[in-house]
Amino acid sequence: MRHKRENTDSFKAGMLSIGVHAVLLIALLISFNWKTTHPINIAEVELWDSLLNTAVQKPLPTPEPVVVKEEPKPLPKVEEKPKEEVKQEPKVDIALEKKKKALELKKEDDKVKAEQALAQKKKLLALQEETRQDDLRDKEKLLKESKAKAQKDALQALQQSISADEKTSSNQQAIGAKSAANAGVIGEFQNKIRTKIRGNVNKSLCGDGNPELKFDIGLLPTGQLSGSPKLIKSSGNSACDEAVERAIMASEPLPLPSDSSLFSQFRNLKLTFRPNDGS
Amino acid sequence: MSVGVTDDMSIFSLVAGASLPVQFVLAVLIITSLFSWWYIFIKVAAIKRAETNADDFENAFWTGGDLNKLFEGLTAGRRKPQGMASIFEAGFKEYARHKQQGRSEISDVMEGSRRAMRAAYNRELDDLDAHLPFLASVGSVSPYIGLFGTVWGIMNAFRGLSNVAQATLSQVAPGIAEALVATAIGLFAAIPAVIAYNRFASSVDRLSVRYESFMEEFTNILQRKS
Repeated sequence: MRHKRENTDSFKAGMLSIGVHAVLLIALLISFNWKTTHPINIAEVELWDSLLNTAVQKPLPTPEPVVVKEEPKPLPKVEEKPKEEVKQEPKVDIALEKKKKALELKKEDDKVKAEQALAQKKKLLALQEETRQDDLRDKEKLLKESKAKAQKDALQALQQSISADEKTSSNQQAIGAKSAANAGVIGEFQNKIRTKIRGNVNKSLCGDGNPELKFDIGLLPTGQLSGSPKLIKSSGNSACDEAVERAIMASEPLPLPSDSSLFSQFRNLKLTFRPNDGS
Repeated sequence: MSVGVTDDMSIFSLVAGASLPVQFVLAVLIITSLFSWWYIFIKVAAIKRAETNADDFENAFWTGGDLNKLFEGLTAGRRKPQGMASIFEAGFKEYARHKQQGRSEISDVMEGSRRAMRAAYNRELDDLDAHLPFLASVGSVSPYIGLFGTVWGIMNAFRGLSNVAQATLSQVAPGIAEALVATAIGLFAAIPAVIAYNRFASSVDRLSVRYESFMEEFTNILQRKS
């Protein structure tokens, strides 16, 4: 009898214990559901962080190009080459123009001289008798004409030089300003990429020195990596190389300028990287 | 990346992602917890019934009336008497037998009925104490089992970390979280077991005191009768 009652009791108790566990499981699920929304908040915080970084870096566009120039790295060299070419081209043009103008001047001078010679001959033929006075007048005329010529030449030379100066300076200024701005933006974003990667590098793996690595990074316009970064120049420490490679992968998406025309500079980015560079 | 990892952190993925020893520990703990709760509910019912039975029997016993009638009422019922009633039944039956034989001295009769009551008392106490050692061992051992699972899981997590060599929280966090599930379930099994064990132990103690005092009083009554 007692056995029977215990059976019903134990059945009830078993149901109750299963019920208790079901309640616990539901409570756990609810609490975990609540927690899954939490990481999204964290992600939003990260976004805010990156926004803040850009906001902080934007007010300092002018000093950053200087920073880029100070770093003797391969990309700035590549960028400086077109600059030099651009500079050389206007010089060549100017030289040509100068030559042309000089030739024209010579021609004009020749004409003037021929006219003068003709006039002199006519005058000599017509006024052979009036030797002294005419000679004097001729001399005066010649003097005047020579003075005028000199003035003309001087004016033309001045004009030439001014126009040449203007052209070269304007050309140089325009091209120089544009390339300098581009170089500044490129340098700025390279620095941004470096700082973002540097934040993800485990610096303890790279030792106390200042190792330098070079990575060939293929980038998509979204800032995603198009492939795994290739190590061009190792730091000598394979752990450090791997740490930097992981850091590059972890810092996806990399910051890119909003100007899509500059993206060509980033498609195959050769990034020189110093993990221990504090700046 | 970190979002992807933390997105998956439901309890099921944590359990499924745990290593085999941790899963085994989790299974053991869940089964233990189920059994301990099962026994807790059984015990709650049994002790409650024993207390109400004792109350009912004490009421019936101390209202006076004939002990023979009480004994007949108990034995005539289809239910086998329980708790205090069974002690009374054992003692009175032994006493009645000695009386029927009519050849023994009072001290022998009292001694015999006392022994019978002691035996019934021990049986009752044994019934009341059933499953309590299980609850005690669940309460003391399951935290250790959970801790073992946690240590194992954290060991795995850190071993994975050594392979990666770059310490990010997102690489250790899932392993530690799934390891901590083991401790959580161990504690979930242990805490109710300990609480129930203490409560049941005190209830059984109080019941045993009631039984013993009843035995003494009933012995006195029998001695007066004979």
